[in-house]
Amino acid sequence: MTVLAEVATYLPEGRTPIGDLAPSLGLGPMQVKVFQRYYEFAAVRRDPAGTLLDLLLGAVDNLDLRGREQHVRYVLHARSFAVVVPYPLNPLHELCRMRGLPHATAFTVTHQACASGLMALDVAGRLLAADPDPDALALVLAGEKAFTPETAMVPETSIFGEGAAACLVRHDGPRDRVLSYVTWPRGEFDDAAGATGFEAAYPQALADVIAAAVAQAGLSLPDIRVILPHNVNAVAWQRTCRRLGLDVSRVVLANLPHTGHVYCADTFINYRHAREAGLLRPGEPYVVAAAGAARGATFSAMVLTH
Amino acid sequence: MPLIVRDQLVDSICALLPQVLRREMPALSPDTALMDDLAMSSTTGLELMLELEESLGIEISVEDLDRDDFATVSSLAGYVAANIIGAE
Repeated sequence: MTVLAEVATYLPEGRTPIGDLAPSLGLGPMQVKVFQRYYEFAAVRRDPAGTLLDLLLGAVDNLDLRGREQHVRYVLHARSFAVVVPYPLNPLHELCRMRGLPHATAFTVTHQACASGLMALDVAGRLLAADPDPDALALVLAGEKAFTPETAMVPETSIFGEGAAACLVRHDGPRDRVLSYVTWPRGEFDDAAGATGFEAAYPQALADVIAAAVAQAGLSLPDIRVILPHNVNAVAWQRTCRRLGLDVSRVVLANLPHTGHVYCADTFINYRHAREAGLLRPGEPYVVAAAGAARGATFSAMVLTH
Repeated sequence: MPLIVRDQLVDSICALLPQVLRREMPALSPDTALMDDLAMSSTTGLELMLELEESLGIEISVEDLDRDDFATVSSLAGYVAANIIGAE
């Protein structure tokens, strides 16, 4: 059993309306309107003066980590992009040194693009299951900088905002227990030529992987209280929900206008929102779902019980 | 709201396609396949909805709009005709 013991997030103060980003993103007025009116983007958070380390520290420092550092055996950074800083910088290792975690095994997972956050939870759970210490913890981090055109936008689909999340994972515990995880890599969509096929396959593939995860958990869709999405855009979720036969109001999209798509951190940011809004109730199951586009094309879903 | 017939929408869609797709178009017909023949994406499809609204002075609900509706000019016109907000 894999358990989310604690989740913290961090969003930079700087709020940038997407209209202000249009010149740098190469968006015309009508494309901006599509993002605003249909995809439900309004603004993203940006901290041009801040570093990736600043982002990750912001999330870690919102965790109650003090006194538990020695139990943290593994630190995983889930990333949408393989290259985020120039060599030999390593913000993950620097964070471990700065926050009393130099003993932890620290590494990055990027294999499934924006679905790498769920993969990191699965990897963390596997490592903890094999660890002889029942009190061992894994720290899963997510968050990236919008520092190149590729990391600022998924063309015609989504706009990235900066932010970060930190999630402590345990092998056992009373809340937020993982019941199932299904991940379907789709390598045929891994390059630019596959983008059109990915878009066409997207709603049905995401719906199918959610249904598969729910079935693997021994549940049916009416049992699911909410879906915590990755913030690709509102239209993609409307189409996915149509295929699932679910009302899109069950998908927690409230953050999308305020944060944009925060790489692999969406899941955790939407989890915090759902907790604070009272959308998660003890003992009730929920789904987290994400798709990775371009290199690492993947559809993934995880079912947990709160 | 005046009744806008499907044929009028077909004409409007064909007229707007070069502007939305930012290139010259071959001869267009109701049977032209928007995605297969013209490589229209979901986003450019939604841009076309916005342009239609502006040019015809209407508001279109896209809540039920899906990829299949972009199969041809005619199928898209059919969707729009059935989803004009406030139409009698």
